[in-house]
Amino acid sequence: MSKPIIFIQVHGRPGIVEAELSEAATLGELQDALKTAGVPIDAETFIFVDESERHEEGDRGRPVEGIKHGARVHVSRCKRIKTTVHFLSETAEHEFAPGARVRRVKEWAVHTFHMSPKDAAEHVLQICNSTKRPPSDTPLHELVEGHKCALCFDLVPEKRVEG
Amino acid sequence: MNIPVPPDRAMLVQDLAAPEFRCGEIEGRWRRVAICWPHVIIAVSAPARPQSPAEYGFRFECSGYRQNPATGQPWDLASNGPLPGTRWPTGPAMVPSVFRPEWKQGLCLYLPCDRMSIEGHEAWRNDHPSRLWQPVRGIICYLEQVYELFHQSDYSGARSA
Repeated sequence: MSKPIIFIQVHGRPGIVEAELSEAATLGELQDALKTAGVPIDAETFIFVDESERHEEGDRGRPVEGIKHGARVHVSRCKRIKTTVHFLSETAEHEFAPGARVRRVKEWAVHTFHMSPKDAAEHVLQICNSTKRPPSDTPLHELVEGHKCALCFDLVPEKRVEG
Repeated sequence: MNIPVPPDRAMLVQDLAAPEFRCGEIEGRWRRVAICWPHVIIAVSAPARPQSPAEYGFRFECSGYRQNPATGQPWDLASNGPLPGTRWPTGPAMVPSVFRPEWKQGLCLYLPCDRMSIEGHEAWRNDHPSRLWQPVRGIICYLEQVYELFHQSDYSGARSA
């Protein structure tokens, strides 16, 4: 039986890298899989599985939790990503794990700004000073530029396609 | 004698095997159903709504892929034919503005990333930059938009529900 597939996403590198890893993998085996996939690990990189708040650290023999078929492994320069969201005249900030998805930020913003479900459905997150509206499944560290561990979004109305 | 695979078809096959597409399949966002060049049929998952399907099929015409945008038509996977307009997805505002069975006889979605719909809509390039076709991302950028409409917008179910 083939091993489960994991999807590796690396801070500052576009795209997804695929690798095989046992569900019972240890941290050492995960590090080896990353190395084989061409992903360098050093003292300034942190490994997260899916949307976990805690990065993987410790001795090589320690089991890694959360490895399953289709798991996303995030290799990030950030332990947390300071995320700012602007909505109308309000601003809110929160720190998320690097593997947290954009939809989690939106859920938090909708709650923080007390938006109705109808308003939430008609608003999207747009990266500040850009026209980029990342899909809700995008992990946050994929959007971070350079070495700063921060992101800024505007929560803007979704414009209907008309004309 | 081997017949060479045309580059547009080869590019599509490559994208359907790429981690970006496979990741979406394993996470249950979409699944490849069939290729019958120049078409590919892909099902996109939808959240549970009363009397509505768990996924909608789409038949994409992919000639000239990836430089040319694809065009996508809602597709009935059971009968392998166009999905009747009464079964198209809908909602209060956003979803029905994209899923318009009366537009182009139901052959495509009213989206800027769609090859048929962008024709004659030059203003969309400025009005909806995030919804345009992205040649470097190919079919993924179209699928993501449909998935977002179902899961992050105002999708309420099938019209007939």
